[in-house]
Amino acid sequence: MGRAVAVIGTGQTKHGRRDDLSYPDLVREAVKKVFEDAGITLKDVDGVVYGSMPSMMEGVAYNHFYFADALRVVGKPLLRTETCGSTGQSVAHTAIHWVASGMADVVLAVASEKEHEGDAQATMMTILEPFLQVVIGGAPLAFSLQSREWMGYYHIDDDKAREAASIVSVDSHNGGLANPFAHIRVQLTKEDVSTAPIITYPVRLYDVCPVSDGACAVIFASEEKAKKICKKPAWVKGMGFRGEEYFIGDSNKAVWQSTIEASKEAYKEAGITNPLKELDVAEVYNPFSYQELMFLECLGMCPPGEAPDYVIKGTFSPGGELPCDPSGGVLCCNPIGAAGLIRVAEAALQVTGKAGEHQVEGAKLALSHAMGGAEQFNGITILGSEL
Amino acid sequence: MQKVGIVEVAQSAGTESPLSLMEFTYKPVKEVLDKVGLKRDEVDMYILASTDVFHSGMSCANAFDWDASGAFMKPASREEGDAITAFVYGCMPIMEGRYDTVLVVGLIKGSENPENDTLTSFVADPFYSRPVGIQETTAAAMQMRLYLQRYGITEEQCAKVVAKNLGNALFNPYAHIKKRVSVDDVLNSERICDPLKALECAPKSEGVCAMLLASEEKAKKLTDKPVWFKGWGSSMDTFYLGDRDLLDTQLKTAAASAYKMAGVSNPRKEIDVAEICEPYAFQELLWCEQLGLCAQGQGGKLVDSGVTQITGDLPVNPSGGVLAMNPYVARGLYRVAEATLQIKGKAGEHQVDGKVNTALAHSTYGFCGQWQGVVILGG
Amino acid sequence: MAEQKEKPRKVASMGMVPYEMALGPTWTRFFEGFKEKKILGTKCRKCGRILVPARPFCPRCFEPMEEWVEVAQEGTVVTWSYVNYTYFGVTPDMIPVIGATIKLDGVDCGTGMWTQIGGFDIKDFELVTKKVKVGAKVRAVWRRKRQGNFRDIDYWKIIE
Repeated sequence: MGRAVAVIGTGQTKHGRRDDLSYPDLVREAVKKVFEDAGITLKDVDGVVYGSMPSMMEGVAYNHFYFADALRVVGKPLLRTETCGSTGQSVAHTAIHWVASGMADVVLAVASEKEHEGDAQATMMTILEPFLQVVIGGAPLAFSLQSREWMGYYHIDDDKAREAASIVSVDSHNGGLANPFAHIRVQLTKEDVSTAPIITYPVRLYDVCPVSDGACAVIFASEEKAKKICKKPAWVKGMGFRGEEYFIGDSNKAVWQSTIEASKEAYKEAGITNPLKELDVAEVYNPFSYQELMFLECLGMCPPGEAPDYVIKGTFSPGGELPCDPSGGVLCCNPIGAAGLIRVAEAALQVTGKAGEHQVEGAKLALSHAMGGAEQFNGITILGSEL
Repeated sequence: MQKVGIVEVAQSAGTESPLSLMEFTYKPVKEVLDKVGLKRDEVDMYILASTDVFHSGMSCANAFDWDASGAFMKPASREEGDAITAFVYGCMPIMEGRYDTVLVVGLIKGSENPENDTLTSFVADPFYSRPVGIQETTAAAMQMRLYLQRYGITEEQCAKVVAKNLGNALFNPYAHIKKRVSVDDVLNSERICDPLKALECAPKSEGVCAMLLASEEKAKKLTDKPVWFKGWGSSMDTFYLGDRDLLDTQLKTAAASAYKMAGVSNPRKEIDVAEICEPYAFQELLWCEQLGLCAQGQGGKLVDSGVTQITGDLPVNPSGGVLAMNPYVARGLYRVAEATLQIKGKAGEHQVDGKVNTALAHSTYGFCGQWQGVVILGG
Repeated sequence: MAEQKEKPRKVASMGMVPYEMALGPTWTRFFEGFKEKKILGTKCRKCGRILVPARPFCPRCFEPMEEWVEVAQEGTVVTWSYVNYTYFGVTPDMIPVIGATIKLDGVDCGTGMWTQIGGFDIKDFELVTKKVKVGAKVRAVWRRKRQGNFRDIDYWKIIE
């Protein structure tokens, strides 16, 4: 599979509402931090991969041009990868392939979002072609439809799903409190979550991710370079990416094939046969609390239809068998294009023991994941402390 | 690093199509699969290139494009930006030894989008550049004026590029613009953005280009004449026009990297044919200089010499180039496809004479060529 | 870097960009069907699945889908959601709506995002949760005057 690749540094902005900075300066903040973390200089970097959501959300088209200086890419090659919400994972994958191919030894991956400058929902509605799918509801509609499809498919009653989703939300928000980068840092109870205003039933206010500004930068290096310049590399153990059909009714979204197959490829490469037992932590993409329940099943962390049971008994909570989203996840912080890369950065922090207050003790193997489109794409990257 | 071969290519024509983008994209992708004799599912990976703002107003272009590109439930990704990047990305998993076959597709329907200038005005930052009307054409016009003044390049020399390329395009079944023009026609065309004239600016075309890449072993099984990926170089310039010397571009850096990787030490002698991205006629001359195909400031003399004619020693844009066919995002992949056809000897009526061993494909986008990429292919 | 002495400044700007997309022969024919109160699907000659809306090709088999069939206008609710918020382009008078995915009888996919349930007082949320269920049977209700576009189906009605 080509040569081994590792994460040798990460950088994140303080995510949230960043009216204090221009968009290029926001990108600059993350890039500055990743160079400091990796302890390398500009001349060590062979190329840059950048990603964000589409132009309508950014307010500037092809914003990688605008960010040339902030990305420190002047005089170097740049690739731009974009797969909607899963962009962060796809950006990481491009960087990994680039290094593994031998055409670069060190690649900087950056993804960013300044959502307060545009309108996220309006942009996402233009994913739908304007002939037939002219609907009201935005991303919350798509994901609520999926949640109820899943509940209907497995005959999970509303109350049980509601309880499990509320636990996911509470756990994630507690994670946010322990993560200095997270956008939303509030204490919530299950009661708060279950009775919040309805957005797209059954999804309520605290079941939904915030609108966030934020940037993330991750540096990938070849085995030789990583061993030379990094004390604690986070090794890429496996990756996978799949996309389903464009029309969301074409595939069963409860038995979510793209998640299942993408994770299978990643697990196979990583030599993982029992994710629940072998993974120490999972940064699962959870812009919607209900959706995490589906991901837990389709990522093979619990049997199909049983995620609520496992969540209710604490399997995926702090201290549980497989803590999920100790960073607060996407529920606490969603600069959409960057969210998938933040999951990679958080996985790297976990397996290198650098996650501070939200560190999962002894974590050695971490899964990061992101989803894109209207339930169409899923990308996974698994990082480990051992080669 | 495994070798990567281009097995087969397919192109759509550039004229406006009544098909939906989905139907339009499907055809060349199916054509490549049929030519190669592979089922969609038998290809290991798919890389798409398209751009949301040039994508019929649909965001997250990968969502809509996925089905027609053949990517359903396959490892896949999408490059946002010129499709030559999809080609390069497509080579990577094969070089790694991870996959054996990758299908690369660049797609756009120019007829569905507003003027390129409207869209490129959104590339300009909203504080300094957009309010004063900077977009790709106004930026290029400034670059052209500097080019004419600094090196004494003449407007006639720039116009010769148009006459040459549109003349070549008459023999390219896929070209959009099929019109013989003279140097005088070009010089007399409207000065839309002085010194740029209307006929010196690329049109707005449809374009879907698909190609199958394969590992050495697989490529040799699938075709008699694989075309080998020899080298790639790419480089970004800084954003604000005032921060740059518009004539000293990052194409030099990109070309140097590509030549180094491909083992090309004398491009003028070793490159047999070049497909260059010239959305503004003068840029063909400037890019030739920056690519080292002639000395600095000598681009005008190069076109005068006839060397870059289709019958010349180093034909440039035998396909007609971007001046004849400008599917904005896909155009870089078309350059790779055309270079491939030349090496294979399959360029039909616009095939250059003599054996083509080494070909260069170039692409650029962004103001005054802020992003530059060069690919070297070999027989 | 400059010091921020007052509230951070912002520049507001709005861009409007026109697009004109070709419907293409497949969807032109699909919407002609709407004019005649018909829902048309296409059948894949390889896997035999019938998909709605009609498609030019089967996304899985990648073969052209050239066999056209008229499909049922009744089906079962696969999933639904009650939309009760606004964003740019959506005003309070446009909500609530009930989005749904419907599996039409005889069709091998769900309708995805383009079907909405209506025909009763959907502002009454309690009533909605009583009437709308996964598995409920629904039927298309057409507008009297049809243009051959998505508006031709007014809503989908729950058949008690």
